[in-house]
Amino acid sequence: MNNWLTQHIQAVRLVLTRLKSQSASTLFIAFAIAVSLALPIILFLVVSSFSQLAGSVKNESHLTVFLNQNADATVRDSIHNVLASNAHIKTFKFVSKDDALDALSADSDHQNVLAGLASNPLPDAFFVEPTSLDEEAVSMLVTELTALDGVAEVHADNAWLKRLNYLLNLGKNAIYVLALLLGFALFAVIGNTIRMQILTQQEEIEVSQLIGATKSFIRRPFLYAGAAYSMLGTIIAILMSTAIIMLFNRSIAQLAADYETEFSLQLPNLDICLAALVIAMTIGLASSYLAVSKSLFKSIN
Amino acid sequence: MIVLDDVTKRYPGSQEALSHASCQIEQGEMVYVTGHSGAGKSTLLKLIAAIERPTTGTVLINNQNVSKLREAALPFIRRKFGLVFQDHKLLYDRNCYHNVALPLLINGITGADAGKRIRAALDKVGLLHKEKAMPITLSGGEQQRLAIARAVVSRPSILIADEPTGNLDKNYADDILGLFRAFQQVGVTVIVATHDALGTANQQRKVLHLDHGKLTAYPEGAA
Repeated sequence: MNNWLTQHIQAVRLVLTRLKSQSASTLFIAFAIAVSLALPIILFLVVSSFSQLAGSVKNESHLTVFLNQNADATVRDSIHNVLASNAHIKTFKFVSKDDALDALSADSDHQNVLAGLASNPLPDAFFVEPTSLDEEAVSMLVTELTALDGVAEVHADNAWLKRLNYLLNLGKNAIYVLALLLGFALFAVIGNTIRMQILTQQEEIEVSQLIGATKSFIRRPFLYAGAAYSMLGTIIAILMSTAIIMLFNRSIAQLAADYETEFSLQLPNLDICLAALVIAMTIGLASSYLAVSKSLFKSIN
Repeated sequence: MIVLDDVTKRYPGSQEALSHASCQIEQGEMVYVTGHSGAGKSTLLKLIAAIERPTTGTVLINNQNVSKLREAALPFIRRKFGLVFQDHKLLYDRNCYHNVALPLLINGITGADAGKRIRAALDKVGLLHKEKAMPITLSGGEQQRLAIARAVVSRPSILIADEPTGNLDKNYADDILGLFRAFQQVGVTVIVATHDALGTANQQRKVLHLDHGKLTAYPEGAA
C-alpha cells in the first residue's frame, strides 16, 4: 500500500517536473484543449439561459380577448361572468380602453402619436390565463371565447414561443453534435501529445522495460500527464467561457434594458465545471491510455 | 540457479538463433559466454534475463519456469538481474546519479535509502566524484562503468553483461573484468558474453562457447 502510494507520488512529481520544464508547450496544448471545451460550454450556457427565459415566459402565457369597440357594460359583465365560470381559466383581468390609453400615453414616445387622435382607438380587453398550457386545450378555449357575443378577437400569443422552442431544440442538438465533434478533437489532441512525449522518452521506456518495469509503471506518468493536460485545459476553458459570457452579458444588458426586462446569460456554475472536468479527464485518460498501449511493448515479447 | 533445458529460439523470418541449448549455472559462478558475432550470445543472455521467451524448451530461474510465466510476472523476474548492455543504454537526458537511480525507482525505493545505495554503487565503480556529470561527458570506459553501477544498484543476485568490453582498450577492459570478479567474490552470479580471447587464463571460470547457435564447450570448457 505504502509502496503503491510512493509510486503514484513519484509519477505525479515526474509529470509535474516535465510539464514545468516545457511550460510553453504545455500551455499551448492546454489552450487547444480549452478551446475544444469552451465552445460547447458557452453554447450550453446560452441555450440553457434562453430555455429558462422561455420557461418563465411560458408560465405567463395568456390569451387576450379584445371586445368590440361598441361593447357596453352589460356585454362586459356577461363576458365577465362567462370567464369567471369557465373551468379552463385560471385567472383573468379586465383592462378598460381608458386604462390602456393611459398606460400607452405614459410612455413619452407615444404622446405625439396619441395627440393626433380624435377618439380612443383601443378596445376593452380581458387578459386571460388558461389553467392548462396544452396546445389543444388552449385552441379550444380560443374558439369558445371567439364565439361569445361582443368579442372581436382572441389572441393567443404563443406562436413566437413555439418558434423559440424550436430554435432552442435546434440549439440543444447543436450542442450534442458540437460536443461530440470537439470530444474527438480533444481525444486526438491529447493522444497526439502523449505520443510525442513517448517518442522523446522511447529510450527510457525501453531501458525501464528491460530492467523490470511493469507496464503500469511505464504507463502511469503518461496517464497522469493526460489527466493533467485535461485538468489544465478545463480550468482555462472555464475561465475563458466565463470571460466570454461576461462580455456577451454587457451587450445583452443594453438590449434587455431596451425591452425593460432583466436578462443575462448564466455563468458556469459548479455543476458545469465538474461535468466539464469529469468529461475532459475521462477523455484525457482514455486517450493517453490508448496512446501508451499502442506505442509501448513492441520490441519485447 | 539457472537451468536451460533443450532451449531453441527462433526469430520470425530467420534461422534458429539458438538450437537445443542446455546448461546449468550455479549461484555465485562466473561464466563467460564466447563465440563469434551472430553465434547467439545475446540471444542466450536475453533468454536468461527473461527478456525473450524460448521457442521451445524450458528456462528455469531459481526453479521458476520463465517460459510458462504470465507476461505480467516477467518484469518481477527481470528485477532479479542486473543488466549491462553492449551499447550501455544510458539515458543522456539526466546525470549519472539519476541514471543509476532508475532501477531503484522501478523497485519503488526512494529517499535517503536510495541515495545511499546510489552513491555506494557509484563508489564501487569509481565514479562517485562524477555523480552530477552528464553521461555524454564521460569516456567510453566510464560510461561502461556507469552502466555497471546501474546494473548493481538494486543488488541483483545475477549480473549479466553483453560484451561489456567490446569497445574498450585492454586496460579499460581489464578494469571492467576486475569489477565483475569483485562482484562474483561477494556471491553474485556473473555471466559475461565476450568475443575476446580473454586474456585471463589463470582465472577460475566456466566457459559456454557458442557456434552458430549451438553450445559446443559445455560443461568444463575448452578454455
